[in-house]
Amino acid sequence: MSKARLFVVAGLAVAALVAILVIVARHGKATAVRDIGSKTTESTGAIGLSVLTMGNPFFKDIADAMHIEAAKHHYRVIVESGDSDPAKQKDQVASFIVQKVDAIVLCPCDSKSIGSSIIAANKAGIPVFTADIACLAEGAKVICHVATDNYGGGREAARAIIEAIGNRGKVAIVDYPEIESVILRTNGFEDELARAKAEDGVDIEIVAKIPGMGEEAQSFKAAEDILQAHPDLDAIFAINDPSAMGVVAAVEKAGKGGRIKIVGFDGMPRGRLAIRDGKVYADPIQYPKRIGTTTVEVIMKYMAGEKVPPEILIPTTLYRKTDAEKDPTLK
Amino acid sequence: MSILRSNSRMSRFLADYGILGVLLLLCLYYSVRTLKQQHPTGEAAAEILARKISRSFESSAKVVIAAKTGRENLAFADTLNELLEKAGFKIVRSIKGDPLSIRNAFGNLADSGLRADTIATTRDYVNVVRNIKAKFPALAEVTISTPDGYLWPTFLLRANLLNISNQIAVIAIVAVGMTMVIVTGGIDLSVGSLVAFSAVVAAWLIRRTGGANASGIAMAGSCAAAIILCAVIGTFSGAMVTRFRIAPFIVTLAVMQMARGLAYLIAKGKPIYQIPDSFLWLGRGAEPFFSIPYAVILMAIIYISAHIMMSHTTLGRYIYAVGGNIEAARLSGVRVNAILLLVYTVIGALAGVGGIVMASQLKSGAPTFGNMYELYIIAAAVVGGASLKGGEGKIFGTLIGAFIIAVINNGMNLTNVESYTQKVVLGLVILGAVLLDTIKKRR
Repeated sequence: MSKARLFVVAGLAVAALVAILVIVARHGKATAVRDIGSKTTESTGAIGLSVLTMGNPFFKDIADAMHIEAAKHHYRVIVESGDSDPAKQKDQVASFIVQKVDAIVLCPCDSKSIGSSIIAANKAGIPVFTADIACLAEGAKVICHVATDNYGGGREAARAIIEAIGNRGKVAIVDYPEIESVILRTNGFEDELARAKAEDGVDIEIVAKIPGMGEEAQSFKAAEDILQAHPDLDAIFAINDPSAMGVVAAVEKAGKGGRIKIVGFDGMPRGRLAIRDGKVYADPIQYPKRIGTTTVEVIMKYMAGEKVPPEILIPTTLYRKTDAEKDPTLK
Repeated sequence: MSILRSNSRMSRFLADYGILGVLLLLCLYYSVRTLKQQHPTGEAAAEILARKISRSFESSAKVVIAAKTGRENLAFADTLNELLEKAGFKIVRSIKGDPLSIRNAFGNLADSGLRADTIATTRDYVNVVRNIKAKFPALAEVTISTPDGYLWPTFLLRANLLNISNQIAVIAIVAVGMTMVIVTGGIDLSVGSLVAFSAVVAAWLIRRTGGANASGIAMAGSCAAAIILCAVIGTFSGAMVTRFRIAPFIVTLAVMQMARGLAYLIAKGKPIYQIPDSFLWLGRGAEPFFSIPYAVILMAIIYISAHIMMSHTTLGRYIYAVGGNIEAARLSGVRVNAILLLVYTVIGALAGVGGIVMASQLKSGAPTFGNMYELYIIAAAVVGGASLKGGEGKIFGTLIGAFIIAVINNGMNLTNVESYTQKVVLGLVILGAVLLDTIKKRR
């Protein structure tokens, strides 16, 4: 190939890349704006949101709900994904501060390292709110934390177990004790069983608590071990839907499908499908959209000079087979 | 014929200045895209607003000052107070605080029956102030004064430019070592893991030597130990490459796994955060004169020394010689193995330094740090003109490469591009830059 032609070809390739880049950038922006639905009205301000990861539909739901609610108040939401990388999230907060957003909402990638970013926002006089995941760093001022009532959800899971197996039996927990919200779930679960024992004479014993890392493969192994050690087990509480899926696989492999009752947590589509198919008994379900909406409501209250509580917990509700059969999103 | 000639001249120009041109074009693009009304802050805002109020009101006018919290905003309130009083204005109230305290103060003002002519506030607080004022009919007559804005790209704000430099510091520092390794014809995939390893080791040692009350010496010692440990791991990789002639790709792939695993083991899977506040000095601090972050100064020092080493010393010549033609270098008496050992040690140490900077920026050490960084770091070197075939690559080219990545990331954040799209764009830009490099090779 002659040099001249090579140059022309390479030039065309670069031009094509640039064109793709522009189109992609346009498209990416367009979808971000379309959701707001308030293109005609000038937005009065901006809220910066950085979530743990947009790879998880839970956070996408929070972001979408915030978009819609903020648009009602003519606020724009700038959505960023931290991709589980604390350093990346730090950069995103820094760019929010430069843009002088009116408020920052964070689902921290790391409850401790987010502290220095929140302190930087505090210094710039920008109020910080957290959603779903709390900040545990000292000296960082968060106006309000909006999250699922995980403790209450744990209690609900225990009630579901009692409902499923009756007043006697043995139960195991597939746990993830590294995560604050999961600790609350298991605490609620244990407390409710203890309460039921003392007040209602329910005799359900927790025979094992094994970590499943909140994901399917690990929980599968954990559940297999539990089933080996306790052949007379009646039920398993898995602390989220991926864990519940791992447990379902292990129970089915052991040929005990249907005999051992499983209760999950979250109410993600896969979890709800498993409930419809009778593989999982019930889920206390979370409402990410309500978390997003409530967060924006709290920000608006704060901006209007009203008092806001330091924490708002969104209750879970129990989702059973009958709910799944009526669920239009599963059709 | 003349078209052909001008084409080849143009292609030479593109090849020589292409990368810098790409960077400048990107800067230009994001400057245009982020051009908007900027609002002065702090004392500057106070001075502008004081002049504006002096122009539009009589000097007997009564002024309420409402400011956000935070150092700059307090400076705004205090300076404005002082300037207006000097000009003869009466300051009825100077409110510094959150919306709740603004509302309380306004309620108080409305009840007291004190007359005020205008409320002075900053532009980023005017929405809140206006909304709250509207709740009090007694304040209906009171106007709101804000300092006039000026048209300027957010991208080119001083604070943003410092952000960019600070954000890329870790990647840019390690990319110096990567350039050297790539120049010798090698590659190092372990750097991202070493960043995490170094951060975790330093944080762990600081926790052991006093945690949040650790002394400066303990912190310096911990950091030095972490860097030395990373250098030793680098030497180990180098030894594997030189002694056993295992491909650098494989050696460093293995080390990448080991270093990440060790980081998880040492930290027991959780971030280590028992670190004194003063540890933020390197990552978040800035020198007092031009407020340039220390991390950026460190980066500049590393770049200048590496540039001098690579282009003005015999050692630098040897490194290029090894990458150009290893047999020729050996035959001309270059101690090839020693050179290779050295560059892998250097990149290990620089990854260690990067880990310290990151630990300092985040005031913690976590085994998840530096995930995928090896790819960004290699991309910085390659975009900057280093050839994976060896023998070619410039230190300052790498700096430009690192800045291209930083500018794209920052620019996309500022222009609100979706996170999914960001990945696509970054990939395309890396591809485009390498394409430019290919034209240069074929010339």
